[in-house]
Amino acid sequence: MPAVQETIDQVRGIDIDQYKYGFETIIEVDKAPKGLSEDIIRFISAKKQEPDWMLEWRLDAYRRWLTMEEPTWARVDYPKIDFNDIYYYAAPKNVTGPTSLDEVDPELLKTYEKLGIPLREQEILAGVKTSKVAVDAVFDSVSVVTTFKKELQKAGVIFMSISEAIREHPDLIKKYLGSVVPTTDNYYATLNAAVFTDGSFVFVPKGVRCPMELSTYFRINEKNTGQFERTLIIAEEGAYVSYLEGCTAPQRDENQLHAAVVELVALDDAEIKYSTVQNWFPGDAQGKGGIYNFVTKRGDCRGHRSKISWTQVETGSAITWKYPSCILRGDDSRGEFYSIAVSNGHQQIDSGTKMIHLGKNTSSRIISKGISAGRSQNTYRGQVSIHRRAENARNFTNCDSLLIGDKCGAHTVPYIEVKNASGQVEHEATTSKISEDQKFYVMQRGIPEEEAIALIVNGFVKDVIQELPMEFAVEAQKLIGISLEGSVG
Amino acid sequence: MNIQTTKRMTAAEVALVEAYTEQVGDLPGDASVTSTRDRLLDDIKNTGLPTRRVESWHYTDLRTLLRSVPAPVAAAPSLETIAPLVDGSKVLPVLQGSASASASVEGVEVSSFADALLSGAAASGLMALDRDDAIGKINGSLVRDGYALAVPAGAEIETPIELQALHGAGQVHTRFPAVFGAGSKATIIERHRSATGEAALVSSISDVTLEDGADVVWVIMQEQGADDTHLGQIRVRFGADAKLKLFVVNAGGKLVRQELRIDVEGEGSELTLRGVNLLGHETHTDVTLVLGHNVPHTNSTEIIRNVVFDRARGVFQGMIRVAPDAQKTDAKMACNTLLLTDDGEFSVKPELEIFADDVICGHGATVADIDDNHLYYLKSRGIPENKARAMLVNAFVAEVVEELEDEKLVEALESVISAWLEKHA
Repeated sequence: MPAVQETIDQVRGIDIDQYKYGFETIIEVDKAPKGLSEDIIRFISAKKQEPDWMLEWRLDAYRRWLTMEEPTWARVDYPKIDFNDIYYYAAPKNVTGPTSLDEVDPELLKTYEKLGIPLREQEILAGVKTSKVAVDAVFDSVSVVTTFKKELQKAGVIFMSISEAIREHPDLIKKYLGSVVPTTDNYYATLNAAVFTDGSFVFVPKGVRCPMELSTYFRINEKNTGQFERTLIIAEEGAYVSYLEGCTAPQRDENQLHAAVVELVALDDAEIKYSTVQNWFPGDAQGKGGIYNFVTKRGDCRGHRSKISWTQVETGSAITWKYPSCILRGDDSRGEFYSIAVSNGHQQIDSGTKMIHLGKNTSSRIISKGISAGRSQNTYRGQVSIHRRAENARNFTNCDSLLIGDKCGAHTVPYIEVKNASGQVEHEATTSKISEDQKFYVMQRGIPEEEAIALIVNGFVKDVIQELPMEFAVEAQKLIGISLEGSVG
Repeated sequence: MNIQTTKRMTAAEVALVEAYTEQVGDLPGDASVTSTRDRLLDDIKNTGLPTRRVESWHYTDLRTLLRSVPAPVAAAPSLETIAPLVDGSKVLPVLQGSASASASVEGVEVSSFADALLSGAAASGLMALDRDDAIGKINGSLVRDGYALAVPAGAEIETPIELQALHGAGQVHTRFPAVFGAGSKATIIERHRSATGEAALVSSISDVTLEDGADVVWVIMQEQGADDTHLGQIRVRFGADAKLKLFVVNAGGKLVRQELRIDVEGEGSELTLRGVNLLGHETHTDVTLVLGHNVPHTNSTEIIRNVVFDRARGVFQGMIRVAPDAQKTDAKMACNTLLLTDDGEFSVKPELEIFADDVICGHGATVADIDDNHLYYLKSRGIPENKARAMLVNAFVAEVVEELEDEKLVEALESVISAWLEKHA
């Protein structure tokens, strides 16, 4: 069997100390003591200068969380998390109102530089005048700097940290926060509601096409600080916004918990495009360390003819538990999910999507590409549900898995539920390895094995890469390459 | 949380326990069988019937759906065997759960399962397959009879053997262990049918072993009455180079669960699974396949076709599991559904769980109504709409039936299917 020799080479080749962003920024941090209690939540709320109703909202979630059980249905395996051994609040210290990049701690800027975050977007996108990127950089829970605020303001777009939004736009927050992912939704979402420290808030008013792509770079830095981001994006009637989220984290020994919640609301004729590149530390070659990424992402196509599109490239994290979903409530609304999930080493991914068809003539499309290598386990878990009144709903699902090495696993668990005869649902899934024929075809043209495999993998994920905004497509391709280094050839 | 232990027992759970305590002195079995029965029943008492929280029962919440269980009938109704599905088949009757003492088939060792219970030989096989195996637990604690078949090595049995299970009201729990010797050939038709239309609870487990090179066709024909609960299970173990064509037809019953638990443990073996589910009225029918490809070089193809009328609900769960080292597995599964009414529903969960890399596995699932273009094509040729629809539905299921090469069998199945469709369309 050829697979055996291949695997020996592959497993030997996997030394995941190839993680390129494993450095640490040393700056002073202001943080709450470890552990979780009502006092900690009061502390966080006070630090954020939140109004009383917000504190109540958090405490309510916390009390409910205490009664909940940790979910165990996902195909992931990890030691029990001690929620009292985590710092729930850590803020970079010199945060008092920088008005320009010059005022930002130079250590921070250096970190971003190493990561290549396009804070100075003109430099990054030299020559691409039409495309602009605004960055709301999240550095350990507090938004440090927000560029382009003024230009966005001119268009009427609100783009700020959620903490600011709670203070400045309480009406919008009260109306929309928790309206897509209720505080009672699931264990981690409830925890997030109790302790979230920061995140982004985007509001695109009626008829406005957001003049630039919005982007947040998350970065988990301080040891043992779980990041509990809360993102809320609202596109009013006829509005359009494209949001980019990208992540890197420094190398660590201890597991870090990340339980974010993302809520999207699209009203009539609105469109939201949400793209993610996730590259957190996946753990070392022994499977030690790495981020636990337990995220709840959900979009609500509340209005008629609205559209929400999720695109994700998942290469990092020790454990990923993530199902960006669309609730297709409005008639003629559309949900899309494009995903590449790459796992290597000891990574475990259980990811997929939910498409809930409630309105008439709703359509959804799911393209998921899983690549598993090393000793990783990669699961696609998705649900397509056509409700009784969802006339003429349409779904197409395609999930393909590619196996590299015989010690890894690729699993597909789709749930398809149809309650309306006019619905049309198609699902297809395949699992295979890179065939010797394909490899031979490329190699006999003088291309070395490693490049040949990279080429084939790139072809395998092309459908999804095409959906990424240009700025991300390049980074994503690079990331997939880095993640699979040592396992492909 | 101890949700299960704090729950109050449902009427059905109480009825099952009562059925056991009332019959316990009367159920066949030696000491080992009785103690196994006791343990299985305790298990039902303690954990209750599975709910939707149990993943393998997600779409068939047995605890909620099984509202009532008829009490066992003391005096068996007088039932007569009916004509076999395929002309000329050898019929082994099981009337109200009791095998006939005089039944025999030339070239096959046939004995009653009650004997195996009495001697204790059946004790080890009575255990449930896993903690979610509710059918195994119910059947294991209450089973009375059935047939044990053994086809000797090398024997080629030309005549199909029909296991004809007929019942009236009450409860019927049967088991059919069957061993097909190396290189043997046979066709078995397992037929479950209500003779009177009165409500009954039926559980039946076929325990099939294919030794090296055996070549078997096994047909399950379920035509229970509109008020019946049918809990069926077939367990299959494959030897090397063995072949099985498994054909499952569901055309009746109120609450039906057919479990296909198949372990491919012989290299070079081949499974062909075809299923037709005809769902009408208020039936809830669930076909659940758990297929383990445990060794290298094995093939399987599965095609399930479902037709949903009225307020019927259908479920297909198909899990293909490829073990580590089971290289060169080739497994393909398809589940196609015609959902013909807005009151009906169908849920599919085709699962792939793959731990080996050199494999070709895939599944496809579709749910849709009849294609308007197809309908138009036929109507434009002067065929009235209802007839055109009937033709299309028929063609949709006939396609998989035709794959059975045995002409007589194909004809017999087609006639059952068209008769059913005529009644419902």
